Amino acid sequence: METPQYVAARIQRALAEDERTNELGIRVDVRGDQVFLRGQVSCEERRHGIEDVAREAAPGLTVHNEVQLLEVSDPGEEEHL
Amino acid sequence: MRALRIAAVADIHLGEDIRGHYRKKLEGIEHRAEVLLVGGDLTRHGTIEEGQVVADELGDLPIPVVAVLGNHDYHSDADREIAAMLRDAGIIVLDDDAVVIPLDGTRLGVAGGKGFGGGFAGKCASEFGEPETKAFVRHTKEIAERWRHALKNLEADHRVVLSHYSPVKDTLAGEPPEIYPFLGSYLLAEAADAEGADLIVHGHAHLGTEKGMTPGGIRVRNVALPVIGHSYVVYCLDGEGVH
Repeated sequence: METPQYVAARIQRALAEDERTNELGIRVDVRGDQVFLRGQVSCEERRHGIEDVAREAAPGLTVHNEVQLLEVSDPGEEEHL
Repeated sequence: MRALRIAAVADIHLGEDIRGHYRKKLEGIEHRAEVLLVGGDLTRHGTIEEGQVVADELGDLPIPVVAVLGNHDYHSDADREIAAMLRDAGIIVLDDDAVVIPLDGTRLGVAGGKGFGGGFAGKCASEFGEPETKAFVRHTKEIAERWRHALKNLEADHRVVLSHYSPVKDTLAGEPPEIYPFLGSYLLAEAADAEGADLIVHGHAHLGTEKGMTPGGIRVRNVALPVIGHSYVVYCLDGEGVH
């Protein structure tokens, strides 16, 4: 089996460089044949795109997409500087 | 001199897939702030099409908008076109220069640009060795020098530096330390400390922390959308500005 560290690095690089994603802020962990993706993105389409690119970069492994949708709330209290 | 309320955000990463969403979040901003600063990574892939979405979402706001580009906005080699589109939409785009915005009798000066990496004092790259390394470090040095020049000539009541990359480590807390040299450079803080500013606003570090300070005591705020969790934050600059 391929060394997990190299698999994780390859997935992370694919997420950054693949034009479908260009996501630099996704954490990738590989444990045995399980891949875990974590981070935050703005919409469901981007969440799915990340999963697609990760699956292609890690054929045969099980990908767990734990990427969350970024919740943006209204502006809070202002800070006085 | 009166206080100024400044709205700030970065890393909005707009695209067709979320068109219209961010604009809605800006409704009523004129009641909360007098100017909006946007610290780069306006797009995801840096394409012309995404640039148009940004121009549509940030254009025609009731308050002035000042933006810089981020690394994502350079990815498709269309940075100049994107900047031109934003300017056509009435957005002020800084590129290692400065602007003075009169706000009801008070002058807000904003200086800055994309910034770049290299790392932080004691743990940073030097202009030494291979041409590729030298070019990387020189890029940041030249940016810092242009910021210093822009700040030196900036006549305003309040002075803010707007960047994409971080000038300090404080606001990177939460990011893996191994990638700090790709997230910012102390040279940016050194330029601001040398010439004085009331506030430095940046983005880029999605896993970082909102609040920090330069070695010279200038407040630094990381306003990357995932860090602030709000559509924008508002900073109120009170009292005397820095000169």
